[in-house]
Amino acid sequence: MASQTQSTDLFGPDPTQDPLAWYKPDDARADMFASAPDDVGAAWRTFATGLTRLPGGLRQAQEWVDRQVADLGLAFRVTGDVEERSWPLSPLPIMIGAAEWAQLEQGLVQRACLLEALLADIYGPQNLIAEGHLPAAAISGSADFARRMVGLSPADGRHLKVVAMDLARGPTGEWRVLSDRVRLPTGIGYALENRIALSRATGPLLADINTRRISEFFNAMREGVAASCKRSDPRIGLLTPGRFNQSYPEQAHLARHLGFSLVEGRDLVEQDGRIYVRTIAGLKRIDALWRWINTRDIDPLAFDSRSRIGVPNILNACASGDLVMANWPGAGVVESRVMSAFMPRLCRTLLGEELRLPNAATWWCGQRREREHVRANFDNLVVSPAFRLPVEGLEDGRTCVIADADSPQREAIFTAMERRPMDYVGQELVRTSTTPVLNGQVIEPHAFTVRVYLARDGAGRWTAMPGGFARISDDGSLRHALIGENDRSTDVLVIDPAGSEHTANPPKLDPPAVRRQQGVLPSQAADNLFWLGRYAERANQTTRLVRVLLDTGHATGRALQPAGATTSARRISALLERLGAAYGGGDGKEKTPAEIAQAALSDISLPGSVASLLSSGRQLSLLLRDRLTHDIWRIVNRPLPACGDDADSLGASCDLLVERFASLGRLLADTMTRGPGWTFQQMGLRVERASMILQSTIALVPGEASAEDLAALLDLVDGQSTYRSRYLTMPYIAPVLDMVLLDPAQPRGLAFQVEQIISHLSTLPNLRDDGMPETPLRLARSLRAWLDAADATDLEPSDLEHWRGALGHLSNEIGKRYFLNETLPGSDGAPFLA
Amino acid sequence: MMYKIRHDTKLSYGTGVATARLNIRLKPVEWPGQRLIDHSLDVTPPPAERRDGYGPYVVNTTSLLFRDGVKEVSVNNAMKIEVAPPPIPNTSPTIAETRDAALTSRGLDPLSPAPYLYGSRIAVPESRIADWAAPLLSPDRPVLEAAQALCTQIHEDFKYDSTATDSQTAPAEAFEDKSGVCQDFAHVMIVALRGHGIPASYISGYLRTLPPPGMDKLVGADAMHAWAAVWCGPDLGWIGLDPTNDCLARESHVVVAMGRDYADVAPIDGVFTGAAFQKMSFAVDVAEIDEE
Repeated sequence: MASQTQSTDLFGPDPTQDPLAWYKPDDARADMFASAPDDVGAAWRTFATGLTRLPGGLRQAQEWVDRQVADLGLAFRVTGDVEERSWPLSPLPIMIGAAEWAQLEQGLVQRACLLEALLADIYGPQNLIAEGHLPAAAISGSADFARRMVGLSPADGRHLKVVAMDLARGPTGEWRVLSDRVRLPTGIGYALENRIALSRATGPLLADINTRRISEFFNAMREGVAASCKRSDPRIGLLTPGRFNQSYPEQAHLARHLGFSLVEGRDLVEQDGRIYVRTIAGLKRIDALWRWINTRDIDPLAFDSRSRIGVPNILNACASGDLVMANWPGAGVVESRVMSAFMPRLCRTLLGEELRLPNAATWWCGQRREREHVRANFDNLVVSPAFRLPVEGLEDGRTCVIADADSPQREAIFTAMERRPMDYVGQELVRTSTTPVLNGQVIEPHAFTVRVYLARDGAGRWTAMPGGFARISDDGSLRHALIGENDRSTDVLVIDPAGSEHTANPPKLDPPAVRRQQGVLPSQAADNLFWLGRYAERANQTTRLVRVLLDTGHATGRALQPAGATTSARRISALLERLGAAYGGGDGKEKTPAEIAQAALSDISLPGSVASLLSSGRQLSLLLRDRLTHDIWRIVNRPLPACGDDADSLGASCDLLVERFASLGRLLADTMTRGPGWTFQQMGLRVERASMILQSTIALVPGEASAEDLAALLDLVDGQSTYRSRYLTMPYIAPVLDMVLLDPAQPRGLAFQVEQIISHLSTLPNLRDDGMPETPLRLARSLRAWLDAADATDLEPSDLEHWRGALGHLSNEIGKRYFLNETLPGSDGAPFLA
Repeated sequence: MMYKIRHDTKLSYGTGVATARLNIRLKPVEWPGQRLIDHSLDVTPPPAERRDGYGPYVVNTTSLLFRDGVKEVSVNNAMKIEVAPPPIPNTSPTIAETRDAALTSRGLDPLSPAPYLYGSRIAVPESRIADWAAPLLSPDRPVLEAAQALCTQIHEDFKYDSTATDSQTAPAEAFEDKSGVCQDFAHVMIVALRGHGIPASYISGYLRTLPPPGMDKLVGADAMHAWAAVWCGPDLGWIGLDPTNDCLARESHVVVAMGRDYADVAPIDGVFTGAAFQKMSFAVDVAEIDEE
């Protein structure tokens, strides 16, 4: 003890003992750590010290956390991005003591109740408007005000099931609401994933400092939605706008975590006031939807007729009470900034209470007195669009700190306010607290805001997630997006110090009934799994073709000449060309096998190249995020190995790829639940492998073939050693064709694939009442019958063409029967069936 | 004035569609000075479902559902209607007074001013249009007089050209080209008025086919017509102005529906599933008949 004190005196505190010892914000009151009560401050120190013990210490803490984030597959898009970015999570969380949280929570719950009461009036009797508590024009300006919903109340009376609020902590420690978010609680999935990543990165640290768990919150939320459903074991969907949406990855994570089906509008259909999801077993009823699409897009018949992501007449299902919708269409009207101006008064009117948690003081310029106030105090205020839409002078739809604006902009806003005062609000400037942030090895104060989440539990009571999603801004500015270009996120922890009186009182939960079936497979997921299987296998087979090309062409290493000669290499390169994996020889310049191989592997402008096929597979895996494990996800997203320009390094790349496909296959076999999802992935694989075997045979054995051609074909199906041990001679046509096409014992042969397709089809639900097999199964059986009856010694090329046609027909019929009708014949299906 | 109106529409779907859902907005709403004596909306083939409703703006909507590979739908809208518009007031409140009255109004019903104060799907705010109209719309000018001046200005500055635009053309585009059809002129007028905080709406309706003796044939009589309405304070309410013909909407105009813009009152829209396209043809006749 004594020596430590001494060293502190001489050299200052030891940073490995307490990295926060040197943290000195300018204003201690305005900092989360510096103003924390002793027990919470101690938790903070314990955590920061714990970071120094991570592999690599404090210096590499960020890298360590980044690796957990990457492993979780956490990603996001900034609007306009095509590729996803990895998620920026800062290793040092924000900590709030249980006492401070309890007070905050009361304010949050009150506000959620207030928003609910406000919606019930706006879409109900509209007393607030008639009695002059809320001007009609403060509502009609919101793009989220859905007139059609007036008079249509939810069956359980609850417009809101999940809400989010953005909070800022002021310089004296008081919390304020910056905005309410009831349309989309974006960030809720990231809050969950941040916690998982942080907990994986720091081991027992979170538990050591008594962090309150957030998992109960998600269970409560699921029960809250389920409790409103009419059926006791409801089917709940998360309605997503689709994979191009900015928060699609978050939606997929949430759906998987909560056990909701991830559905798009085209998966659903309305019939007689109910909503059904199209599945491989026909239409199945959906009881509740957590919608992540805007009200105006949910129903092209009731709202915007141009919407392609909604469900026609879904409003009818809401109105009939057979569909629970979280949140209710039109709820977004309470998000307008203008509402902040009325909240204190509305709280008194609707709840008979004072507002516990203030929002930023707000003046709506649509009112004469308030307009005068904003004009008189113009330079001390923040001016914003009243309804979160771009307006004159604020074309980006953002807030303007008038004191920071240049004079033309100041003038422009002032003048525009004369013409349309109702479009503007003035707000006090909210200053924010700071929190310690790790930059490299240094811990520095940064401004932050926190998004918190509330949901109703099974009894309908509001419960807050203990913690939230914090955004740390680089430059101190407040942006509207969830996360901006250089922003970082961090976790928010609620700390229950040992012996605290505020120990968590988690919502009571009932365990689910044990079940084995995962629920029905939506047609669209079946479609995606099938095509994922096909793309992966096509990439696999193309790689094998390239490898054989390199082997057979290797002897010369020169261009494939003379023109017209039928070497095996020429036959394979012609097949690659037909598959869209090689350029036509139209330019008169013959290419070397290495040049052809390089393009076939890595040229993204060739639709059939391995690079293109993998990219298509990745796009599909995005759609299947809720169904694939993290390990599969990682393997699918691994970049293409480097492809050099010499035959040796290209051959090595092929070997690497073939190994990767094999490990993907093993992972799928080891981890996918045996059920319809697995069946469709496997059928895709089998159909594709069968098709590639036929095409390769047709290309290499067009009636006649050299020993080299036959050897190449055997290589493609891994049949060289079997052939040699079976026949003890060089390859001849009939024995080779029998092995490759007709022998059902060869796992890479055609007959085996057909056998597998039949057994998979037999496990799928039959929709016919008469007990007869459905068309796909019938077609597969007839193909098997032809193979069974065929004799390899008198096979004609026309037989092979006939089987290829039958296989294409079978694939189409599988699509017609099990997938969404509109997507067939799909544009991406065509090149495969040519 | 008594009219007999026939409006026949035919929708063709080529190869036939699995399901088609249509919203038809052709039955005239109740409107000051209008008396609907007789009305029928006949649809062939008979739809699987048919629902009639009102709202959410001043519009009657008939929702139809067709199943089983329908190839062609015909909609026949027929009515007898009397039009006797109330007199036009001599004075109206100023623009500033109108704006304040709209902002303090206490209702959200379809005829109240608040829903018509802000931008809507097609009538998107456009500062160039607001600036262009600014000299006509000073805050101390009576609102109806100002709106009439605006109506005249549009009639003078814009060219009627039925090939220039379609039903989804943005007002900014028509303004840029200074050409379009009745719908575009109405949208430009709405955007100009709203740009100055004046409630303005879009009206779809019919126009008499044959002009009164000694007068020119009105433009827009061979199809459905569209014009704008301006809210002139709680006492006067909505008054229609037709920028295509530079006149007040009076006994030659039959109001069918009022909304924020075309999208709220589109005569026919909907969705269909199946690999098909939709083609539409129509015929309109608005005949003046002797009062019985």
